[in-house]
Amino acid sequence: MIETSGDLDTINKLYRERRWGDGLPVVPPTADRVERMLRHTRRAPSDVVATIAPGFGVATVERIAINAVLAGCDPEYLPVLIAVTEAVSASQFNLQAIQTTTHPVAVWLVINGPISQRLKLNSGTNCLGPGAWANATLGRAMRLIQQNIGGALPGETDHATQGQPGKYTFCCAENEAGSPWEPLHVERGFAPECSTVTVVGAAGTSNMITHAKDAGDLLRVIAGTMAVPASLEYVYGGEPWLMLAPEHAHILKHDGLSKAEVKRRLWEQSKMPAHRLAAKDLARTQNARRAELGEIGPDTLLPISIDPEDISIIVAGGPGTHSVYVPVFGTSRSVTREVLLSDEAAMINAL
Amino acid sequence: MNENIFVFNPTVPRLDGSQHLRHALDKLTGKVVGFIDNGKPNFNYLVDDIAELLVSKYGVATVIKRRKRGPSVPAPDMMIKELSGQCDAVITGSGD
Repeated sequence: MIETSGDLDTINKLYRERRWGDGLPVVPPTADRVERMLRHTRRAPSDVVATIAPGFGVATVERIAINAVLAGCDPEYLPVLIAVTEAVSASQFNLQAIQTTTHPVAVWLVINGPISQRLKLNSGTNCLGPGAWANATLGRAMRLIQQNIGGALPGETDHATQGQPGKYTFCCAENEAGSPWEPLHVERGFAPECSTVTVVGAAGTSNMITHAKDAGDLLRVIAGTMAVPASLEYVYGGEPWLMLAPEHAHILKHDGLSKAEVKRRLWEQSKMPAHRLAAKDLARTQNARRAELGEIGPDTLLPISIDPEDISIIVAGGPGTHSVYVPVFGTSRSVTREVLLSDEAAMINAL
Repeated sequence: MNENIFVFNPTVPRLDGSQHLRHALDKLTGKVVGFIDNGKPNFNYLVDDIAELLVSKYGVATVIKRRKRGPSVPAPDMMIKELSGQCDAVITGSGD
């Protein structure tokens, strides 16, 4: 621990000089604050949750709690961040590449299950915007864990050409009440009463405003938005994400489509002729997808993902005709982990 | 006047200082050298040229070349197992 003046300006100056923050003011991680947070897990402070690439720093429960305090998290958020840390360290998430690439990829947290309401996570109007403490600080804590434990310092190991605002914070809950389908965590094999967090290597958000009123029309314009030649999805076969507005989701459901059928149709309709790629990108695609697609020529129709099921869909947001396409870092696969609550939290959750 | 307080350092020690070579080769003559081509266009030409030099100028016995799906994709476990089992040294790199 470091002794410093209790003056907030002095503390922020210290963290800024040592590059322990993200450019915004921080909450001082004092022993009292960290201790309060540690009460919300059954795990010991010294328990190792994961190692975080690229520096492979050891993420103990205590080190996660310190960064959570720094980000402004409430103490009861800690179990979410423990699950998040486990998720990003799974090999299929490819954190080593995410942390060091020139690509703007940010880690997007999608929360499902009863914990969303208990922590007052926003899943509705402006769920990716400002205003909800849990959304803002959980996403921010993820970034600080990446930087302070993983060692991804901007300009040193994090070489993003521009980066994106989502690298400050990128977190929302699924609007399960507004969805006509099973929520993401149930689709992935968890019980509805489980709480989960899913981590996604997200390249950004592309707004899709459309007043389409039938499924065919709606899917046609969504597929058209997904088929972007300057993206990694087509080079590697990616895992594109869609955040559908409740209104759009209900149009699809009303016309008799399950989530799986929506994925299948989008996968078919978003196939793109290989000649739309730049010549260099086509060469990379030929190397990366030969085993999957055979020889790839200019007229080969490239699917956006290897399998229709690789397209992920959640329903989120409030009223309005805006859905969001989230292109993903092509060589990363999302990971879902259950949020394990402390005994006390689990009891409150059950009420 | 504010009293002094104690705050945590949120970082962890990085591995930079503790990295070291597993072992060094004293010569290349008769050795087996592997390449992991990162899959970027043209890197295979660089690999071909260096492989030729390693054999003709430095007496390397064999060069084993393997290619990844792309630069941001980790080498598959099978590839790492194969190369680590057969090679005295493996060269990885980034080229375009």
